[in-house]
Amino acid sequence: MNTFGNGKFNISGESVTEDFNLLTQALDASISGIIITDSLLPDNPIVYCNQAFEHMTGYDRAEIIGHNCRFLQADDRGQKEREILAAAVSQGKECKVEIRNYRKNGELFWNELFMSPVKNSSGQVTHFIGVQNEVTTRKKAEQDLRVQKSVMEKKIEERTAELRDSEAFLTSIIETVREGLLVLDPDFNVISANYHFLNTFKVSQEETVGKPLYELGNHQWDIPKLKELLIKILPTNNPVVDFEVEHEFPHIGKKLMLLNAYRVELEGQYKDQILLAIEDITDRKEIERRKDDFLSIASHELKTPLTTIKGYIQVLEKGVPADASDKYKTTLGKVASYVDRLNNLIAELLDVSRIQTGNIELHKLSFDFDAMIHEAIEGMRTSATQHEIILHGSTNSQVVGDESHIIQVINNLLSNAIKYSPDAEKVEVNISNVSEYVKVSVKDYGLGMTAEDKKKVFERFFRSGEIQKRFPGMGIGLYICDQIIKNHGGTLWVDSEIGKGSTFSFTVPKKSSRKDEA
Amino acid sequence: MKHKKILICDDDEGIVDVLELFLEDTGHTIIPEFNSLNLKTLIQNEKPDLIILDLWMPVMSGDQILRMIRNTSETKDLPVIVMSASRDGADIAAAAGANGYIAKPFDFDNVLAMVDKYLQ
Repeated sequence: MNTFGNGKFNISGESVTEDFNLLTQALDASISGIIITDSLLPDNPIVYCNQAFEHMTGYDRAEIIGHNCRFLQADDRGQKEREILAAAVSQGKECKVEIRNYRKNGELFWNELFMSPVKNSSGQVTHFIGVQNEVTTRKKAEQDLRVQKSVMEKKIEERTAELRDSEAFLTSIIETVREGLLVLDPDFNVISANYHFLNTFKVSQEETVGKPLYELGNHQWDIPKLKELLIKILPTNNPVVDFEVEHEFPHIGKKLMLLNAYRVELEGQYKDQILLAIEDITDRKEIERRKDDFLSIASHELKTPLTTIKGYIQVLEKGVPADASDKYKTTLGKVASYVDRLNNLIAELLDVSRIQTGNIELHKLSFDFDAMIHEAIEGMRTSATQHEIILHGSTNSQVVGDESHIIQVINNLLSNAIKYSPDAEKVEVNISNVSEYVKVSVKDYGLGMTAEDKKKVFERFFRSGEIQKRFPGMGIGLYICDQIIKNHGGTLWVDSEIGKGSTFSFTVPKKSSRKDEA
Repeated sequence: MKHKKILICDDDEGIVDVLELFLEDTGHTIIPEFNSLNLKTLIQNEKPDLIILDLWMPVMSGDQILRMIRNTSETKDLPVIVMSASRDGADIAAAAGANGYIAKPFDFDNVLAMVDKYLQ
């Protein structure tokens, strides 16, 4: 049995039938479809096919033998692979193509076809052997991959466009804000500067970006307070808000700036970069100063004729003739009280201005809280005869604060309580110690207010719509009270119900020991 | 009480007039003056026992005059009451060396009490 000598078929005369059967079985056992076409017959008919080919195509051997291979392409004749095949056939060369074929039932399958010519001893092509593998699954996977890839590419394109859009949007915001914005690297080199920064400090992009902050504009940003902010404060207090820096710039003059600084803590490419927002408040402060000046001068000028009027009235009061009527005397008294009110209004106006700009000065000293309350109530009793002012409780406390301001608050709360309860007979004042605070409540049995009013009652120039009609005033008294109490570290609030009255309460910290312990 | 000389200086004529009315019955001699620039000469010539001085006056302000008075040896102990409608008036007056301070608008009885006090 020398059939497989040297790893090849060794067909000899004795075993030719046996060997041929073996070869045929080998071909049938192959999972690749194998056909042989005869090039010497017209139209290259198929003269052999194995079982795998029958299986692959769905056709019986009887339906295959004698046909040209093209029947497998059914009506799908436009494929360029056909030209490659035709060229190989005519030139007698081998080739490999992947071509769309159709089974007997019409189902598409991808055929990976190897075709090689068989030549006789004179070099003439006698046969072609075609080996075919079905690669539909692979083709489909490849196709899916291509689809997937294009979907991914499209998605990436979309995302990139979105990113670019949002970046452009953010940039346009940064360029539009009316606040200077710098981005610094951890070594304080400028990474970017927005339009407002460049415009405010009269510098160009070129002389700013990429330069160390302190060297900008001939070292004009070499400001000790700015260094303190960046080196000392920011590393431990991130972010820093409303840090005031005043600096004399060589060309643009003295600027008062409010800085916000933020160090990026997020891991990633921006980590440790520093955002510096610079608000130029020079003009704002100047306007505030002028407004204060104006109000000071206005109130001073208004008070001068008022002083004269008050003086003349007092002269008249001293010299009331013996036979003067009661009407004459009460009228004179009313004129005097309205002059006092005018004077208070002028003082309030100045207070508001000062409080708003933070210019109000507190002269904090220790004082006897209960004595102060008694004194304030006594003062109010003489002018408010219709209402009984009842005091409950005591604190026996020394309080450190500006006594004149606290008196102002109490007077304001008492006069409001009286003013807004015209039909009531009493106003109750309650004082007590609460933890390290003293607490004062002023309760009236008057009009009360709505929840909506309660929210706004401490706002400047707030006047309840209904109340405005019945009681004149500017609506700044409670605003001032609120500010005074805040300046003392306490709170002022109101509890109220329409028709039942209001209770205004405030607390201020004592910040000193009680009298009996002192 | 012996009749004394009181010099009143304010650029506002109404204020000076009211103060004259207030002090009319005291029997003191009132010397009114509206222009602070005349004060130096007036003080030298009249030798007043008390000066009532406004703070904000044109050209020479009250505190400037007061400093001048305190820096002149003959008048350094002369009682001066400063009056003002300004919020910071009391501090400015004290810093310049005023004996007393009256806030505008002032009160009849307060003015009289303070005048009496510094004429003792």
